[in-house]
Amino acid sequence: MTLFLSQLLNGIHVGSIYALIALGYTMVYGIVQLINFAHGDILMLSAYLVVVGITKLGLSPALSVLLSIVVAVVFGVILERVAYRPLRSSPRISSLITAIGVSMLMQNVAQLIFSPNPIPYPITLSVPALNLGGLYLSFTTLLTVVLSVGLMFLLQIFVSSTKAGKAMRAVSEDTGTALLMGIHVNRIISLTFAIGSGLAAIGSLLYCIAYPSVAPTLGSLPGIKAFIAAVLGGIGLIPGAMLGGFILGIAESLAKAYISSRMSDAIVYGILIIVLLFKPAGLLGTKTREKV
Amino acid sequence: MRNRRNASLLNFFSLFIIFIILFSFIRSGQMNNYYSNILVTVGISIIMAVSLNITSGLLGQLALGHAGFMSVGAYTAGIITKSLPDMPFAFSLAIALLAGGILAALFGFLIGMPALRLKGDYLAIVTLGFGEIIRVVVENLNITGGAAGLSRITRMSRALAVDKKMSAAIQFGVVFWLMVIVVTITFTLGRSRHGRAILSIRENEIASEAAGIPTTYYKLFAFTLGAFFAGIAGGLYAHQIGLLTPRHFDFNRSIEYLVMVVLGGMGSITGSIVSSAILVSLPEFLRGFADWRMVIYSLTLILMMIFRPSGLLGTKEFSLSKTVHKIQKFLAKKFVRKERKPKLPFVPNYDVWEGKPVLTVENLGIRFGGLVAAENINLHVMNDEIVGLIGPNGAGKTTVFNMLQGVYVPTCGSITLLGKDIVGKSTYEIASSGIARTFQNIRLFKSMTVLENVKVAFHTRMTYSPLSGITRASRYDSEERGIDIRARELLHVFDMDDVADENAASLPYGMQRKLEICRALATNPKVLLLDEPAAGMNPTETAELMDTIRRIRTRFSVAILLIEHDMSLVMGICERIYVLNYGHVIAEGTPEEIASNEEVITAYLGMSNKDNKEDKAC
Repeated sequence: MTLFLSQLLNGIHVGSIYALIALGYTMVYGIVQLINFAHGDILMLSAYLVVVGITKLGLSPALSVLLSIVVAVVFGVILERVAYRPLRSSPRISSLITAIGVSMLMQNVAQLIFSPNPIPYPITLSVPALNLGGLYLSFTTLLTVVLSVGLMFLLQIFVSSTKAGKAMRAVSEDTGTALLMGIHVNRIISLTFAIGSGLAAIGSLLYCIAYPSVAPTLGSLPGIKAFIAAVLGGIGLIPGAMLGGFILGIAESLAKAYISSRMSDAIVYGILIIVLLFKPAGLLGTKTREKV
Repeated sequence: MRNRRNASLLNFFSLFIIFIILFSFIRSGQMNNYYSNILVTVGISIIMAVSLNITSGLLGQLALGHAGFMSVGAYTAGIITKSLPDMPFAFSLAIALLAGGILAALFGFLIGMPALRLKGDYLAIVTLGFGEIIRVVVENLNITGGAAGLSRITRMSRALAVDKKMSAAIQFGVVFWLMVIVVTITFTLGRSRHGRAILSIRENEIASEAAGIPTTYYKLFAFTLGAFFAGIAGGLYAHQIGLLTPRHFDFNRSIEYLVMVVLGGMGSITGSIVSSAILVSLPEFLRGFADWRMVIYSLTLILMMIFRPSGLLGTKEFSLSKTVHKIQKFLAKKFVRKERKPKLPFVPNYDVWEGKPVLTVENLGIRFGGLVAAENINLHVMNDEIVGLIGPNGAGKTTVFNMLQGVYVPTCGSITLLGKDIVGKSTYEIASSGIARTFQNIRLFKSMTVLENVKVAFHTRMTYSPLSGITRASRYDSEERGIDIRARELLHVFDMDDVADENAASLPYGMQRKLEICRALATNPKVLLLDEPAAGMNPTETAELMDTIRRIRTRFSVAILLIEHDMSLVMGICERIYVLNYGHVIAEGTPEEIASNEEVITAYLGMSNKDNKEDKAC
């Protein structure tokens, strides 16, 4: 039982990181229907920024994290402006390939600057774990879950009740009409990329505290997992990303503990496939039938 | 004619000469192992890219797990040649390649069956998932050597001949000709009725099904064929490298091939060939810059996409396609058989239904969850009759059409077409048994030509198999020429012969509506359903349309059931009218009866008698 509960805690821990990253995928997808493959690499970018901030610039950890968030936000906005905006009216596959190109570019530039060898992440949390009757709840887990869930609620409130959030939903429903209603579509899209990248930077911090090793390919694995989480929950939906993230994280750690650690990825993909076959628009998505 | 023959002969020989030159270069050692290996890699990549283009470009379904099929083929082939050490290598290799292809095709079939129900990004993510599952499973099996991989597979560059240079040259030959075969098959199939069916699914799946194409079958067919070729490419790869590890076939590898397809142009086979050659050799040329080459590679990719978003060639092809076609025609004429007469498409022999109803609907109803969209609908359409179906928006008119064509399955009631019950049949079956339709919002196969749009609808009236399509057998030739004649005839009836070779999307609105009717008639229907044919037309165009509708009724001997809001059209050409409101038929009768029916006026027209008379006057 303790094993089960501690695996469950692990799952929730990882799952909330996935969910946080999945938000970025889901928001961008919802608004421009683009699978932003470079999203995972923003994690890598912010991780290296923290490393550089602390070891090279001698900044305090808090300041480096802040720096990494700011740079990630700016980078996300520039990325959209330079690489994705020119392709907005092109076939969607072209923007997908561009996103893949950006991802490759970022990884290879990182490799040029930092070499392919992993370096340790400089921030660690050495707070003793809480003992809950034999079940240890680490401070990292607590921080991760509280921070991610909190951010997700903030985001949900932002999207559902602020003016910018409403504009965001309008753009994702119908860009053309939103434009006619006087919404500054480009600005809203930039804002979406900014928020997504900012969340990725925070996700990066939490991920690297859990797995403290930084390499140019750092973003690939959590990136793809988060993407799956977003699709699982229903891509384009913020609660969907949360739900998908948690399900994925929990399924993964339970599969690792009880079935086979090497097969856990296959099981995760299996769950995804089964869900999509029965609920083709994800768990929370509603299937829209094409009108004939 | 002689010139064209000469040209095709020239092209065929140029392909042969390229082969001979490269072969002898490798044979003599002027081209060392490093370069011949690049050539082989290019060949394998071309097979991969072309096979992925079948699913992603021609069928239009984004697949992200193509490397998974390659790995199935690679491991199968590798295991087979390793377990047949006593057999001459050439034999065991042939068996292994074929077995690899077949097993990969089987995987493609099994994966495609559930996955192809999904569309767009969801299909992409499911194929990605399957690809990764294959990789993880391979990583954990004993027979595949686990994570360490399958090593010491006999390499083609060593084992095909005693002499090393000769062996390398033969390796090149094997890959080169297999590539030529795969490309040729893709080309010829693409230009047959089967290829047209596949393209029409990409263009508009709903219209394709309504034109009589069994879409599920063709999606699965294209996906399986793509997997088969990928499996063969995998087998070649295994025997080129000699060592297989699961990491070779991860997600990035699938992406690599997808990039080749997109960069060359989705749907362009020659584009895939060119871009595979460039993308494989580019990093090799950049080897001098070691560290920078991947950076340059990815930058090139981004810039290419920004400045040429539809790829190098778009959906165009080089004249190579025509060349291949000509070669076959030439060879067929020269060696095999005489030309056959064009075979006009089979036209179903409908019994005489004069004075009898061709379509009868009894007690038809459908509910979506709790919503009753239509209930207790009774209507019939006599032979060669023009019947109107009118009613306010949301009355259930299009829902009735959708039930008639099998898009929705009715919850109760019966639909009888020419004496046969058609409830529960799928749309394409209904299309081939005699009901054709047009759509409220035009659904054409936009990037196909006007002629091809019509030809797609002849699909059910042709019989030749995919194999005859690939080999350009005599049946292919006579049937294709037959429908070419018929399709042009049909376009001529609508005064559209001048635009036959233009893209459907480039037609003006009125012509697009006409083309839809034309395409519907090509399926040779007994009942034609027109869903708001006059929508968006001005009075002159509407008058012309009325004329056209009357003309096709007599010329093609079809009964017409039409939904329309334009009262001048409905009152002008319909012999009988049904009025629908809230999913019920509230009135039936001649235009005069309907125009004076109190219930109709209050429920539907919502005007007083006086207004109605004025309406009739114009």
